Amino acid sequence: MLRLVLCLCLLLVLPASAFAGDVSVTLRTPQGAPIVNAVVTIEAPHTGPVRFDWPYRMAQQNLQFDPFVLIVPVGAEVAFPNLDKVRHHVYSFAPAKTFELKLYGQDETRVVNFDKPGVVPLGCNIHDNMVAFVVVVDTPWAARTDVSGQAVLRGVPAGPQTLHVWHPYLIAPGNALAQPVAVPRDGAALAQVTGQLRAPLQQRRMY
Amino acid sequence: MFKRLQTKLTVLYAGLFGVALTLIAAAVLLAITANAERQVRGELVAGGAVFDRLWAMRSSDLENDAGLMTRDFGFREAMASHDGATAQSALENLRQRSGVDVALSVTLDGQTAASDGHSLGADGAAIAQAVQTDTADVDPAGVAVIGGAPYQAIATPILSPTLMGWVVFAQKLDRREMSALEGLSSIPLHAQVLERGADGWISAGEPLSGADTRRVSRFVSDALANHAGPQQLSMSDGAAIALVKPLKTLDGAPSAVLLLRYPMAMVMAPYRLLMELLVGIGLAGMALAVAGSWALARSVTRPVSALVAAAQRLQQGEAAQVVVETGDEVGRLGESFNLMAEAIGERERRITHLAMSDAETGLPNRLALERRLATAADAQGALVAALSIDRFAMVRGVIGYELAGALVRHVAARLAVVAPGAAIGRLSSDTLGMVFRAADGAAAAEMMARAVDGPMQVGDATIDVSVTIGVADSRQPDPDRSPFVAAAIAVAQARTGHRRVAAFDPEAYGDPAANLSLMSQMMQAIEAGHIEVFYQPKFDIRRGCVGALEALVRWRHPQRGLIGPDLFIPLAEETGHIRALTDRVLAQAIADQQHLRAAKHDLDISVNISGRLLSDTDFADAALRVVGSAPGRIWFEITETAVIDNPEEALRQVERFADAGIGVSIDDYGSGLSSLAYLREIRAEELKIDKAFILDLAASRKNTLLVRSTIDLAHSLGMKVTAEGVETNEAFALLAGMGCDYAQGFLIERPLPLKDVLTFLHEDRAAARRYG
Repeated sequence: MLRLVLCLCLLLVLPASAFAGDVSVTLRTPQGAPIVNAVVTIEAPHTGPVRFDWPYRMAQQNLQFDPFVLIVPVGAEVAFPNLDKVRHHVYSFAPAKTFELKLYGQDETRVVNFDKPGVVPLGCNIHDNMVAFVVVVDTPWAARTDVSGQAVLRGVPAGPQTLHVWHPYLIAPGNALAQPVAVPRDGAALAQVTGQLRAPLQQRRMY
Repeated sequence: MFKRLQTKLTVLYAGLFGVALTLIAAAVLLAITANAERQVRGELVAGGAVFDRLWAMRSSDLENDAGLMTRDFGFREAMASHDGATAQSALENLRQRSGVDVALSVTLDGQTAASDGHSLGADGAAIAQAVQTDTADVDPAGVAVIGGAPYQAIATPILSPTLMGWVVFAQKLDRREMSALEGLSSIPLHAQVLERGADGWISAGEPLSGADTRRVSRFVSDALANHAGPQQLSMSDGAAIALVKPLKTLDGAPSAVLLLRYPMAMVMAPYRLLMELLVGIGLAGMALAVAGSWALARSVTRPVSALVAAAQRLQQGEAAQVVVETGDEVGRLGESFNLMAEAIGERERRITHLAMSDAETGLPNRLALERRLATAADAQGALVAALSIDRFAMVRGVIGYELAGALVRHVAARLAVVAPGAAIGRLSSDTLGMVFRAADGAAAAEMMARAVDGPMQVGDATIDVSVTIGVADSRQPDPDRSPFVAAAIAVAQARTGHRRVAAFDPEAYGDPAANLSLMSQMMQAIEAGHIEVFYQPKFDIRRGCVGALEALVRWRHPQRGLIGPDLFIPLAEETGHIRALTDRVLAQAIADQQHLRAAKHDLDISVNISGRLLSDTDFADAALRVVGSAPGRIWFEITETAVIDNPEEALRQVERFADAGIGVSIDDYGSGLSSLAYLREIRAEELKIDKAFILDLAASRKNTLLVRSTIDLAHSLGMKVTAEGVETNEAFALLAGMGCDYAQGFLIERPLPLKDVLTFLHEDRAAARRYG
């Protein structure tokens, strides 16, 4: 039994350690501005539950969601702590997860289980300007671009893969772009992705 | 252009007034129009601004309503959960609540659903496309066409929280809406929304006629192209000022405009009364100007016309006075004219009197008599007599001019007594004229002469007066001379005939005018050779043959035939043609002498030299040169009378002729003033006794004695003697007995042309002639 577990572990670890490379993605606008909060994913066969090392938490603070984009694996329990003095009414009509967290107050936390992959836009029925997105993925290779528009996917199985880029305001069908990337057996592949953003509707309605 | 001053003045004043008025009216109209247009343009621009504001307000209202819908959680939930019926009912609910005409939802995949459940068809698809393609930073808003009518529409996104679709609220831009807009303007504008159709700009909500549609469409296109402000737009119901405001459309394309119009008629309406007043005032003023200037001109021209008429009467010699009505310049002109007319009349009477009367005697003059004759000679005609006082010049020399005038008056007074009813006037200083009627003019004249004749007391002197009377009959008109001239000529004829009374005899008077024309033809005749030289032989009594020839001139006139020297020589002397005539005769004589010499007839030729030429040194020089070339001897025949005029010079020339060997004959001796003194002075070689003595030589013993003593006298002075006018053998015999040298006359031969002379001489030589 231990031997079997060991073997399974090896099977799990080996491809990653022996035949996997990194993909370093840089996402920019055609003007060269970095695009922040984009989600880059590569979907490849994997085993075991997916876990990310950031908290599965969508706080509401200063009448905004934080973070703006949260990547969680399928089945994740996401906490919705209200850090504001006002109450919020978080909702989603997304097919991936329709839910409604009716008026809850300061320091109250609600937990929602995201059981299907997909993009779940979040709004607050009281505060129209509050928008956030929970991206539920079924792959371990997912990351969010930082302020310099960069994200690194580590240990991606070597070989030709498809790099997916998603951003809520990306001008593309389904707000997503796909780009082939050759992942080396070792080392890092660099992927330059260019995309265009539109103004978020909520912002232009702030008059 | 205008014949009447009145018309001219009227037209001028009225025209000036009219022009000034028209200019003023034009200026006012221009100012008013410009001002009104400017005002209306301002109003249009303001109306446009109001419309903008209104549009924005309505847009905001719609957006608020639509926003209310899109924020509604239930609606969003219904939309998100694809619960169409619920969403539609919610939409309809809000539409009714906010009173919006049309509400519809558009999903992201372009499906449209109207709140009332109607299908929107193509309009819905167009709206969906417009909403989806919008990329602007603001919500899609603007004009949309639904069911053929324009709507103001706004689309608001349904955010849950991401875009799920749009809610579109649309408010119809119908007449009611436009009226609301028009009502906001201070002027009655007309507002209309136009869309860009396939054939231009059309008005879906408020159709225009075909022509207006084309006009408006072109106007909108131009205005959009030029970004023009308010412009003139002409339409079938009149011109208007119009402003085109582009309207935003739902799809952002520039396919709708707002047309604000303001008819020019309404622009000008407030000024209509002013314009009508202006025209009315103008017409009234024009009428006043016409009437005033007509009246003024009339006041000026009526006296002037009267003056013109008076001046015409004055010109025709009638009395002409004008009525002076005013004291102005025209009136003074009339007064001056009247004075002038009077003065002219006075002067005319005086001049007429002077012209019609003799200043010395106060009797009517010849002109007055002629006038009288002209009036008297109409039906029966009248006789004209000229009564010439005999020796008047001598009498006047004795008694003086003043008494001579008195004498003429006395004679006239006596005539008036014997011939009552006759007009008596003075024709010339010594001649009275009379116009009278009588059955027998000559008998009446005899009676007058007897009545006038006799001693007459003039001043202190008693003068024995006699008159010679010439009578002319005015009943037989003579185109050549007036009866007074005829009567005067008759006086001369009477004196010539030593009669007291004579009627004018045209036969005896001849035709001086024709003679004058003859002279004008003489030079041509000399050049053309019409002046011929004839020769009359002189018979040498002692030798019994022809001894010499006398050259005599003849004029073969083409119309009048042969003219004798008696007719044209005196005229030639008077007119100066005698020089050319004599030159011609002399040259011909010398040439003919040559011919005769060639025929073995060596004869002297005599040429008559006029007294006029004797004092002509130039002629003498020329004659001497010519005679020098003569083959034989040339004689010059001159009369004593010719020498008397200028004896010194004449005698000097005669000396020169004699010195040059020219024989000099004294012609016509005894007929004129035969002076022994001249007979002594003239260096003549021959004396020619005038034919007056020879013609009745045999009948008159006195003549015989005279001729005989003359022959003796001549011979004793060393001259040969030629007798002229020898026509009978008896005379020839007597002359031969008296010792006369030559005989000349028809007995020998009349003057002959040269060829006949040659024949004659030939016969003369063949058979010796015997006369006596």
